[in-house]
Amino acid sequence: MAARLIPRVFSAGLAPRASFQFAHATARSQFLSMRAIATKKYTPEHEWVLYDDATKIGTISITDYAQKALGDVVFVELPAIGTELAQGDNIGAVESVKAASDIYAPISGKIIEVNKGLDDKPGLLNADPEGEGWLCKIEASKPEEIDSLLDEAAYKQLCEEGHQE
Amino acid sequence: MSLRPVLYHIFPKPLPYLPALALQEKIHSIQARSRTTSSTGEKEATQSSLSGSKHPDILLLLEHRPVYTAGRRQDAVALDEERKRLVRSGAEWVATQRGGETTYHGPGQIVGYPLFDLTRMGIRTREHVCRTQTLLKDYLRDRHNVPSFESTHTGVFVSETEKVASIGMQVRHGLTSHGFAINITDEPLRWFDQVVACGLADVRAASAESARAQFTGKRVPLNIREECEVLRDMFGEVYHMPVKSLDEAEVEIWQAVKEVEAVAEQAGEWPREPIQT
Repeated sequence: MAARLIPRVFSAGLAPRASFQFAHATARSQFLSMRAIATKKYTPEHEWVLYDDATKIGTISITDYAQKALGDVVFVELPAIGTELAQGDNIGAVESVKAASDIYAPISGKIIEVNKGLDDKPGLLNADPEGEGWLCKIEASKPEEIDSLLDEAAYKQLCEEGHQE
Repeated sequence: MSLRPVLYHIFPKPLPYLPALALQEKIHSIQARSRTTSSTGEKEATQSSLSGSKHPDILLLLEHRPVYTAGRRQDAVALDEERKRLVRSGAEWVATQRGGETTYHGPGQIVGYPLFDLTRMGIRTREHVCRTQTLLKDYLRDRHNVPSFESTHTGVFVSETEKVASIGMQVRHGLTSHGFAINITDEPLRWFDQVVACGLADVRAASAESARAQFTGKRVPLNIREECEVLRDMFGEVYHMPVKSLDEAEVEIWQAVKEVEAVAEQAGEWPREPIQT
């Protein structure tokens, strides 16, 4: 669209405005394509993965809904770096109020980083589960698995359906 | 609400820990398998996808033979010296995948394993732990006239330094294992004295029988089977489900239960107090 506008605008002698519109349109399309690279998807069991298409790296943790459901986290068990996992494999556990809840890999891949901050501050998982409370990063071996997960709208709907208390 | 009953079983004799743990794992895998077939074929289910599923929710009520267990976050290697000392005193020692830290189980203490499908029930983990804890407090108050001491720690206390019941659970895909333990008679107390239980150095174990004697001025010997029945009924009320006895209709589970009972029968007597060496 921007490309079509420019010749006409230039011919009308409105060069400065045109170049601003062109630059703006280009920046917008770049911005849109940048947004498409990082996708956040969810599992029915309240894990999320923020997947970066360019690097093939997914950051994994549990959702705010999950941390509320667990209670105050006192201990987080994280996988060893280098562990290879299939989608659905046990990835560790979160302990709260004397219940150890297993966490599962949303996608297959190799663990390349774990959040060491959770060793001293397991409470981060309650305070900021979708930010500072990330659990680990995985290098995806089957990126197509991302498509099988829930998007934000579907996940929100699931949470609303499940709400009993 | 669902009319699906909780199937319960009260074991007649104290069970050795490992066969009972294997029984829990067997029931867990039967429940997990049933969820896979009833939902879209994936392991991760939702409450609606489970509505047609057939696997039962189970409540096992039992005593164990003397055993010390550690929880998931503890380092079994670091505990090796302690393990040897405790085994010498006549108990087993097992590292488990439940939450919580070191505790003791043995005759005179009721252990409950609610093996529930929380996703299907529409209950979340914290809620389940909270209900169980409240149930145990209500049991002490209503059955034995013993008020609980309000503590920030999970479990049930009768004073700041005396703990009568513990909770330690594991949740996998919304299916629970392990559960709670409540001291009924004084028999477990000498065994508790051998460890720092639940990571609380200043806390000692107490029993329902002794606490009741303290609060009512009269010691009444308690019967484990009767107390199991009271707890069973309370679970039914709290989770809004009828309770029904587990029987041969659940073929696989019944067979596994009978096998564990046979092992317990053959195991014979157990030390009534820690062996002093």
